[in-house]
Amino acid sequence: MRILIIEDDPLIGDGLQAGLTALGFSCDWLRDGKLALRGPDAAPYDAAILDLGLPGVDGLDVLASWRRSGHALPVLILTARDAVDDRIRGLDSGGDDYLVKPFALGEVAARLRALLRRRGGQASPLLQHGRISLDPAARRVLLDGQPVELAARELTLLELLLNNKGRVLSRAQIEEKLYDWAHEVESNAVEVHIHHLRKKLGSELIKTRRGLGYTLGDEA
Amino acid sequence: MSSSLRGTVGRSLLKTITPLWLLACVVVGLLAHHEVSELYDEQQQLFARQLYHTLPQLRASQTRGQLHEADSADHQAVAIWDSQAKPLVADSDGMALSPRPGFTGFVTSLHHNEIWRVYYYSGEQGTVAVAQEEGERWELMRGLLLAQLLWLIVLPVAMLAIWWALGRGLRPLDSIRQLLQQRRTDDDTPLPTDVPTEIRPLIDAMNQLIARVASTLQHERRFTADAAHELRSPLAGLRVQAELVQLLDDPAARHAAIDKVLASVDRASHLVDELLALARLEQQHTLPFAPLSWQAIAEQAMAEVAAAAAQRGTRISLQLDGHGPQANGDASLLQLLLRNLLDNAVRYSPPGSQVRLIVSPQQLLVEDNGPGIAAEHLPRIGERFYRPAGQDASGSGLGLSIVGRIANLHGLQVHWQNRSEGGLCVTLQPHRLPPAS
Repeated sequence: MRILIIEDDPLIGDGLQAGLTALGFSCDWLRDGKLALRGPDAAPYDAAILDLGLPGVDGLDVLASWRRSGHALPVLILTARDAVDDRIRGLDSGGDDYLVKPFALGEVAARLRALLRRRGGQASPLLQHGRISLDPAARRVLLDGQPVELAARELTLLELLLNNKGRVLSRAQIEEKLYDWAHEVESNAVEVHIHHLRKKLGSELIKTRRGLGYTLGDEA
Repeated sequence: MSSSLRGTVGRSLLKTITPLWLLACVVVGLLAHHEVSELYDEQQQLFARQLYHTLPQLRASQTRGQLHEADSADHQAVAIWDSQAKPLVADSDGMALSPRPGFTGFVTSLHHNEIWRVYYYSGEQGTVAVAQEEGERWELMRGLLLAQLLWLIVLPVAMLAIWWALGRGLRPLDSIRQLLQQRRTDDDTPLPTDVPTEIRPLIDAMNQLIARVASTLQHERRFTADAAHELRSPLAGLRVQAELVQLLDDPAARHAAIDKVLASVDRASHLVDELLALARLEQQHTLPFAPLSWQAIAEQAMAEVAAAAAQRGTRISLQLDGHGPQANGDASLLQLLLRNLLDNAVRYSPPGSQVRLIVSPQQLLVEDNGPGIAAEHLPRIGERFYRPAGQDASGSGLGLSIVGRIANLHGLQVHWQNRSEGGLCVTLQPHRLPPAS
């Protein structure tokens, strides 16, 4: 899941980026409110974390500008303002969730997962496909009820495919979701991850569509 | 006072109209009495004189002292006597009248329990008396006064009309009341001014109040938002970095996170220090009256920021023209003031900048060649927790509030302005007025 973080405070922004990366997200961090206005154009983000206390620019103005230009990505508002009026204003301006500083990293991750799940129209926290079930919160995959050891990127790739059932994802799309700006993508990285996933979870799990990309196999 | 305007106007009207009406009744009564009396008196006089002229014929027709009895009329009486006061003619009531030979004029007398007004007219031929019951006159006057009582019936009707008219007139006030009742407390739109001219000043005053309250409220809200941001951000940073230490396995990353935890703690401590300094300054209203060594103050302040300046390659120069703008004051506070100003100049200027501190009897001046402050932020500089457009530099937003407070205690006024050649220039000059407490 690729997340855009808009946060001016260096310690909070750095912590969010490092922490969410460790929790299985790919994160890009913008510190400047003016750059943030064009932020969602930069990559196909799944969600954004927006700090309202940006100096110079009001975070709500940034949000309103995103919504005006048609960006529908879920936005988790992160702010020090905790008055009920502020919360109402935040949610009414197009925010999807609201978290007051100081916050727990785990809660930020959980709320992001909930936002993404809701956007996919799914209520259950577990992603299921055939014999496989993935728990995004616990970062755990079960095959026929037995835990399977997956590397972090493999798990994220599987999560991406499970969240896009029935859709074909191109290699470029997968790379954009898996890697933030800080990480260089190796040319055959996606093929390697797919290969490992097939080896660990069965070759029928992921189908290759020549010239198009990858999609989930039939549920069996 | 909680009285209705309608009631007040109604009562006032009653209080003035009722005595006026009573007064009018009295005046009408007196006038009527006067006019009626005059009319009847004239009639009596005329009648008496006419009767007197008939006296010679009466006497000639008189046969042997026989009393001539006249037809009697109600409430009227006549009597005629000859020059020897011998009665010649009298009606039934007239017989009771006493003769007054030689007397001409009015007499009020009582007989048959009635007050009679009697006019005597005397001459050589004899005396004539024409009398009338006073009651007759009062009857006429009563009729005239009765017309005045009609007012008693008209008055309640008039009051009802006034009551209704007042209600109509006060309707705009009622609609304003409803507007105010339905208003949200933070609504800052002015009240409509299309009201009667009498209410307009009230509405104008209310609109001014609404504007003042709105600006105070906005200021408070901004302050709370800024304060929440400045107070919570260090804690949020601390918490998230501490969580990272728990979360990460890589020793190098953990180490970096621990460094950041420490930096967060330092930042929070700095904020607490500034808050406490400001709180102490708020309490302080007088200063120790000690002579100041401006050279020592300036040099120590520069020494305190020297490390930070060296790190950024920024040069600080001092120009000392005699002593500073005040001869006496608190040296440690002024040192804090200069340190905060120099610290800001170093912090917000690009590395390798020039910062100048000039101390002269006219002013203290700190200028840098950094980016300056955008014009829209200048008015709010010095407000607590206010920090203009984000830079990398961390700060609490309290440093300049502290500067402002110390300057105020020393009777100095702070001005921030952008230099035309770039950078910010802060000047502190003595107030023309004595320092505020």
